[in-house]
Amino acid sequence: MLEISSTPLVIIAILGTVGVLLPIISIARKEKDSNSFYAVIAFAALIASIGYVAYQFLADNILPSALFSEDVLVDDAFGGFFAIAMLIVAIFTTVGSFNYMRKKNYPAVYYSLILLSTIGMVLVAYSTDLVMLFVAWELMSIPTYVLVGFMKKNPSSNEAALKYFLFGALSSAIIVYGISLSYGLTGSTNIGEVIQGYSTLDPSLLPLALLSVGMFIAGFGFKMGLVPFHQWLPDTYEGAPPTITTLLAAGTKKAGFAATIRIVVLGMVVLNLDWTLALGIIAVMTMTIGNIAAIMQKNLARMLAYSSIAHAGYILIGLAVAPYSSLGLQGSLYQILNHAVMKGAAFIAVAGIVTTLAVTNIDKLKGLGRRMPITSLGLVISLFALAGVPPLAGFWSKIMLFGGALDAGSTIWWAPWLAIAGVLNSALSLAYYGWITRKMYFEGETEKRISEPKSVIAIMIFSIVFLVGFGVYPDPIIKFVEFAAPTISLGIMP
Amino acid sequence: MTNELIDFVLVSVALLGIGIYGLSVKRNAIRMLFAVEIIINAANLNLVAFGRFLPHSGGQTLALFSIAIAAAEVAVGLSLIIVAYRMYQNIDIADFRNLKG
Repeated sequence: MLEISSTPLVIIAILGTVGVLLPIISIARKEKDSNSFYAVIAFAALIASIGYVAYQFLADNILPSALFSEDVLVDDAFGGFFAIAMLIVAIFTTVGSFNYMRKKNYPAVYYSLILLSTIGMVLVAYSTDLVMLFVAWELMSIPTYVLVGFMKKNPSSNEAALKYFLFGALSSAIIVYGISLSYGLTGSTNIGEVIQGYSTLDPSLLPLALLSVGMFIAGFGFKMGLVPFHQWLPDTYEGAPPTITTLLAAGTKKAGFAATIRIVVLGMVVLNLDWTLALGIIAVMTMTIGNIAAIMQKNLARMLAYSSIAHAGYILIGLAVAPYSSLGLQGSLYQILNHAVMKGAAFIAVAGIVTTLAVTNIDKLKGLGRRMPITSLGLVISLFALAGVPPLAGFWSKIMLFGGALDAGSTIWWAPWLAIAGVLNSALSLAYYGWITRKMYFEGETEKRISEPKSVIAIMIFSIVFLVGFGVYPDPIIKFVEFAAPTISLGIMP
Repeated sequence: MTNELIDFVLVSVALLGIGIYGLSVKRNAIRMLFAVEIIINAANLNLVAFGRFLPHSGGQTLALFSIAIAAAEVAVGLSLIIVAYRMYQNIDIADFRNLKG
């Protein structure tokens, strides 16, 4: 049994109570237009949760990554790592909304849905049972369908929400089907027992087991934006309110990776097939198609959406080489944390630009470096970190990922090619990141500085400090990642 | 009346096929929502059938969870479709073309 003071239960208690109470408070209060009031409450709840996770880590109350447990939830370092990444993203979203949601309707409902969705994301990372995982997955998804369509007078927002909803509902339907197959094959919904059951499966049932794992990859792949399942992603990221895009790109996508590592990577190791090559091919396709499509975009949000597809490909490299090199999963986790901060900062910068200037077209960004200096600096730093330019934080996670692929090269011949594809793609991505930078700093008339939203400035300063600071001195994060990454290898299975 | 597990699984696979067909061919938002629901119900049928043939009731519990969650999902989906209908007087998703590139 989980202790009542264990991290996931405390997070549910804090965020759930506040999330449910916010709409009730808004009914009780007659006052209109009190966005900052609700934002402060939501922000306090998120800070309290992240503080509790950090306290549990510092007090050494967290198990090393267990991955399996008798219970439906396990309070381990793997879940704690994802909880920190997702709570950072939720804090970015909330702080960015201080400015974005000003003078808009229903702020209480908006923040309440963000908190509920955050609970879902955190629980996906902690869950060790397929029933719990499915419920958490839906708790994460359903609020985001509403949030994407929150600007209901805006046709783009509505269209984005409808597309996102149809693909999201399909993905959860496929996940339930995969769960039903694996339950039928192994007679259990506990992930540990499912994996155990797979390893002793009758060979004639192997195709069904493969089908169930394939359905998990497809279902989670929709949320992660892997390439055959990515069509909804650019439309949704462009049409959604930019603060919510932050939550989608940096939050729900990471929850998909957490679920994949918990189920698919281990499940496929047990099924003992040449599955890693399939993941490797998906990884290369995802990053190449994402980067090539990003080059052709005229809209900043859409370009970042394609770059976020490309990053799903980089992270997948680590999963593909996971059984052969311990650096693989560590690199993936590192990249997940960095991507949460980099993409979060980039989309919050877009939100700041949209609210002050109402433009997202890249051609209209001329001279932005002088008009909004701090937002531009934050955007540029996060773009270069995304490309992996040293000495920013994104550089070290890419080194770790590609190093893992090279390291695995001693076991399997194709792994170094993943590293080569990754390096070429990073170079390709510098082209469009550089193009945005050039537009912002080296083109356009000298225009007067306009006042930037304070909440956006706060996030920009935090992410500049994070990206530059942990880029120059990456040791603490690397230690944290090594602690959080589960060790898996062929042959050593439960 | 036979009472074999394979019958239930075959029906469930047929429902999965119908659902995927509906999603890939139809362009009416409500029909697509139906198609998704058919897939979820195929999975529920699977779960209940497996639960019937296994010594415990975990599958039936999950089926109940999944039915409740699907209801919540449909509520959100229908409300999004209603908003779209008010805006366009139409729910054909091929006509929603603000976002592309």
